[in-house]
Formats: sequence, structure tokens, C-alpha cells
Amino acid sequence: MKKAATLLSLTLLLVVILSACGGNANSSKNSDATDSNLSDATNTSAESGEVVTIKTSISDGELSKDQIAEFEKEHPNIKIELDPVDATKLAAKLATGDAPDVIRVNGVFDVPNYVIKDIAMDISSQIETSSVINKDDLLPIADVYRFDGKQVGAGPIYGLPKDWSNDFAIWYNKKAFETAGVPLPDPSKPLTWSEIMDLAKKLTMKDGDKITQYGLAASEWGKTEPNFNNMLQYLLSAGAKISASDNASVNFDNPAVKDYINMWVDAVKSNVGPNSLNNDQTSGGDLFTQGKVAMLIDGYWYGGVLRANENTKTHLGDFGMLPAPTAPGGKRVSPTGAATGAIINKNTKHPKEAWTFFEWYFGGKPADDRAKSGWGLPIFKSKVSLLPQDTDFDKQVYQVLQDELKYSGDYLEVNPYLSNSGWAIFDKYVQPLYFGKSNVDEAVKGMTKDANVVIQEAMNAIKK
Amino acid sequence: MKEKTRRIVAFYLMISPWFIVFLLLGLYPMLYGLYLSFTNYYGFNMNNLKMVGFHNYRTVFTDSEALYAMGRTLLVTVINVPLGTAIGLSLALLLNRNIRGGGVFRTIFYLPSIVPVISSVLMWRFMFSNDGILNSILNLFHLPRINWLGYDYATVSLIIMLLWGAGGGILINLAGLKGIPKELYEAASIDGASAFQKLFRITLPLMTPVIFFNVIMGVIGSLQIYLQPILLTGSERSELLTRPIQNNYLYVVHAFLQIFAFQRFAYGMALLWILFIVILLITIILFTTSKFWVHYETEQEG
Repeated sequence: MKKAATLLSLTLLLVVILSACGGNANSSKNSDATDSNLSDATNTSAESGEVVTIKTSISDGELSKDQIAEFEKEHPNIKIELDPVDATKLAAKLATGDAPDVIRVNGVFDVPNYVIKDIAMDISSQIETSSVINKDDLLPIADVYRFDGKQVGAGPIYGLPKDWSNDFAIWYNKKAFETAGVPLPDPSKPLTWSEIMDLAKKLTMKDGDKITQYGLAASEWGKTEPNFNNMLQYLLSAGAKISASDNASVNFDNPAVKDYINMWVDAVKSNVGPNSLNNDQTSGGDLFTQGKVAMLIDGYWYGGVLRANENTKTHLGDFGMLPAPTAPGGKRVSPTGAATGAIINKNTKHPKEAWTFFEWYFGGKPADDRAKSGWGLPIFKSKVSLLPQDTDFDKQVYQVLQDELKYSGDYLEVNPYLSNSGWAIFDKYVQPLYFGKSNVDEAVKGMTKDANVVIQEAMNAIKK
Repeated sequence: MKEKTRRIVAFYLMISPWFIVFLLLGLYPMLYGLYLSFTNYYGFNMNNLKMVGFHNYRTVFTDSEALYAMGRTLLVTVINVPLGTAIGLSLALLLNRNIRGGGVFRTIFYLPSIVPVISSVLMWRFMFSNDGILNSILNLFHLPRINWLGYDYATVSLIIMLLWGAGGGILINLAGLKGIPKELYEAASIDGASAFQKLFRITLPLMTPVIFFNVIMGVIGSLQIYLQPILLTGSERSELLTRPIQNNYLYVVHAFLQIFAFQRFAYGMALLWILFIVILLITIILFTTSKFWVHYETEQEG
């Protein structure tokens, strides 16, 4: 009895202490939030002379030690600390209020989602008055970081892409086309996705049972299978919308969705690339650089890989870019599938310093460095000409790009509540189709059900 | 009375380092998780939580995934644990003989437990691939290739890979075997017992406590598997947030993806508390059966 009483009192004591801690943490967080309110910009905690540390999840590959040193020399009151986080860690850090000040995001999927979650800071007025970033010089693609609560591309600006690519373009290997005796398509106008699939079948070569050459790789990392991102581009081209206008629900039971799935399931069953059926574990990118696949779906940035890869840099002339395909009968679109960049954390304690860093990274010298490297496209009209244009390879790519730029002002229709959860839901219901374990009607029904559960819960959590 | 109080205080003072750490880092987060499972916590709305009662728990039983995943998990457990325990014990029996190079074999069989999961899974992923070593062996015997990571064989492959690590139990099995008194075997030899009789009448009965321990730990471990299926049969990049093929969609995989891919923290907590209850129930059942088959040298207290 006595023992139990002691235990109980000890526990109670601890609970009291802990709840007190929790209370403190909460109240201090609230006061931070008001501090960092934009209208309160003068109320920033950094007094003159005080050195503040800005944490960012931009990776060390994208922001070198030298660049940081340069910045810190120009701005002695700001220290930059790289705080690398993956999706898992960021979710946890956001939950505990310990997230970086400048958060690296996937523009297409994360920005609308972070805006409705009240994580992203509105930086419209800073951009308006900036001397480094000229708003009129921005390409339409930069607007993928704008969101008015319903639609991407309009409303306040929440961030900028560091670079972007026409991620649904096609890279080809001329040699592989010659091996199959198939003429190269005309790069001045886009093919449809079904034409690409037909081409892929013709380009797939077999020696008995063994596949000697694949027609198509869907990405540099994985299998030649459809994915959610790729479908959104198809739907954009077909003019099909699956989200309700208020984004409160989504419906995959749409002819364009079914066409897309059927087309891809057929391509998987025809083994035009490594997939779950033939269980080839080589990645699309490895196959492409080794000359074992004729086409690869990837954006402008992939040219950087080809220029750097040991296998391909010696015969760059064999490679080239084709414009992003369209849905059959659809309009030409070449949107970005990612547009990696950053937002400023709304709860940052140092909004002014965070902006100084942001402005420098996205509009200053690092932006020029990135454009010259050819690993992605700049967001400024004036910097497009900095892209590599020396070799024949560079010239071919640059020329196709000029056309693509005209069609990059459309944005993938991303439901802010669903965000990139769509990937896993899409995979879940499409995978059984390759193995003939389900049918397309059941698949779209299941996707709709699962996606709406996620949307509903996200909306309930956001409602005040 | 005073003496007793003094003793109690002394007791808690002495265990306090462990006890306080347990309260702070064990009990408190657990109870906090329990609390969150009754809210609509979604990863970012900490200052705006709403109580939703048993909604998340109801969802576990009504959505299309949780029960399916639990079924697959129980299936994997039912196959993996008995086989794993049997293999671990047989290996230990073999290694218990005084053969030359026994230490080398002991090391080799224990190795899978030391190799990081991520590298061992990647290795298996290549072995299971179309041109992998397993299909090459099948080819040698003119057997058709198998899509090891496809729909029909994914679970078989997962279990093969898990059984590869069955040597992890060798150390504890060996310790158990060394603990069996030599006299028993000598007496049995004098009575003319065969090797089989010795195994079934002496070794196995005396090993039952160790087997029991291995089964319990195996069940608890098996029900919580998540990394292996994600890495082995993840659909796209070798990333943690990809979905494994449907047949390997185990329960903790489901919980992990719900929490970290979908930010459904509250629902994920509910999933994990239900798993806790399932583990508790299975363990209780195993403990009740233990008095019928586990042999203890000394009398056990209630």
C-alpha cells in the first residue's frame, strides 16, 4: 500500500513537472509566431551586431562550403547552418516546431500543402521591393510557388524554385534507334504518349528470350511503370480535372485516368522497359547511360548527367532531347514535375535574415552558377542564355528547349490536401493490374476512396 | 514502521536513475502517443488539436488496409517464427559438436545478424532479380525462371530472406545447450539410449525454456517487421516512403507509411496501440500454453 502511494506521488510529481514544461513550450511558441508575423517585421529579434544563425535544409550539394563562406563574409551578422532533413525527419521537425528557417521543398507538390498548413511565409512584398530579384524578369514557371488557396499559379508568392526542368521530356539515344532501324522523331513537335509507347515497342529488341535493348525508361532511378506525377502531366494535357473546385474531394473515375492507366499497363505487359513483371532490377538511368534503352523520360537537367557520365560524355552527339509528349488529342504542355526550391518557414525567429539569405541564394551569384552548370533551368529570363551552348549536343537541347519554354506556363493540378500522398495510393492500385489481379474500374474506385479519406482527414485537421 | 519507510525510500532512490529515465523516455512518450491517438493530430496542428474519441480506432477496423495488413503479418509470423526457431536450434545442435573450425561456422551463421539490414536487403534484391543467382541456379536445372519479387512469390522471398537471419538465435541456443549437464547424457548412454532418444528425451525437453524465449521474441519481432518488405519490394526508388508490393504490405509498414508519408500521426498511433494489444494477447496465450510444454528445472512461482 505504502509502496503504491509513493509510486503514485512520484508519478504525479513528474506529470506536474512535465505538463509545466509542455505549457511553457506552447506559450513560447505562440509568442514566436506573433513575433515572426510579417506586419511585425521591425520586431525581429536580431538587434544590430547580434549574429543570428539561419538553418536551411538545402543540401550541401546545392550550397557549397565556399558559397556559404562567401555569403557569411558579405553578411557578418548571419551564419548559415545546413540542416539536412529527409521527408520523414522534416515531418517530425515540423511537428515539434524545430524545422529549418529556409525549407527545401518540391515546388509542385509541397508548396500548396505547406501553404494550407500555414508553414510557408508569404514573401510577395519582399520580392516586390527586392533589388536582387526582379519580378518582371521571372519566367512563368516561378509562379508554381504561388497559391491562392485553391489554385497554383495565382495569389501570393511563397517561395522560388532554385531551378527546374521540363521533367516530362524524352531523351533519346540515336544508336539505339539505328539498331532497331527506326527513324528519329521530329524534335520540333511533340509526339503523343501513345505514339511514344508504340515507338517503345518497336525499339525493344529481343534475342530469343533475352531482351537486348529496351524501348523506354520511365525515370533515371526506377522501373518503366506509370507514376502519379506522370499521370498529372497527361491529365493536364488532356484537360481533365480530378479534384473538385474547392479541392475537398477527388475522383479518379475519369476517362483520361483510365486511358492513361490502360496505356501504361499495356506497356508494362509488353516489357518495353525494366518492370515488376520482368523483375529486372537495373535502374532506367543505368540502362540509358549504358546504351541499353532507347528513350528516357526526364527533364533538361538530365543533360548534366550525360555530360558528366563516363560512358556517355565521349559520344554526346548520339543523345538529344524531344519535347514532352501530350495526351492523344490533348494540348501541348511541358510543365515542371518538381521545381525544387525553398520556402521560408512562417515560424522563423529571424524573418529578415532568412530573407537576406533567400534573396542571395535564389537571385544572386548562386543562381548564375547554377544556370552555367546546365544541371537545371534558371527561373529568370535573363539567365536562360547562360545555359551551356558550346557543343552540338548543347545546341540541340537548347533549341528544343526554346520551344518547350513557351509551353511551361501550365502547372500540374495538385490537390493541396492530398499532396504527394497520391504517389503511394496510385502505386497501390496500379501494381496489381500488371499481374492481372484487378481491373481498371476497381483500381480507380479504390484510389478515389483512399484519396478522399486522406483529404478529409487533412481538411479536418486544418479547420480551426 | 519507520524502518520500513526508510527501506522503501532507499529502494526507490537506488532504482531512481533507471526509474526516472523510464518515466521520462518510456512511459511519458507512450502515454502521450496514446493521448494523440484520440485526437486529429496531423503533424502540424499541435496548437489546434481536437478530440475525436475512438474515430481513429474505428478507422483501423473499417479501412481497406489495416486488417488486410494484419492478416499478412500474422501469416508471415506463423511461417517465419516456427521455421526460424527450428533452424536456429538445429544449427546450434550442429555447432555444439566439438568439430574443427566450429568457431568459423559459428561466426558465419551469426553474420547476418551483424550486417546492417539495408545492405543485406539490397544484396537479396539482386539475388532475387531476374538475372540473379537464384534464377541462374534454376536455369542450371532447366527450370523456368521465377519472378521472385512479383506478386505471387514476394512473400515467399521475404520469408526466405528473414530465415537467412535465423542464425541470430544461435548464441542463446548454444548457451542453453552448454547448460545441459553432461551426466544426463552419460547416464543415458549407460542405459543404452540411442542418439535420437537422447535428443528427444534429454536435449529438447531441457531446451524448452530457451525455445520458449526464442518463440516469444520471434513473435514480437515478426509482428513489427517493416524495413525488409519496404526495401525488398518497394515499388520505386529505394526509399523508405515507397509502398511494397501488395502481398508484403505488413502491418507496421502500413503504420509507418500512414505516419510519415501521409502525416496521419493520430491514426498511426491508433494502429500501433492496436498492435500493442495484439502482441500482448498473443504473448499471454503463449504464456498460458507454456505450462503444458515448457520444462523448468526449478519450481516456478505463480
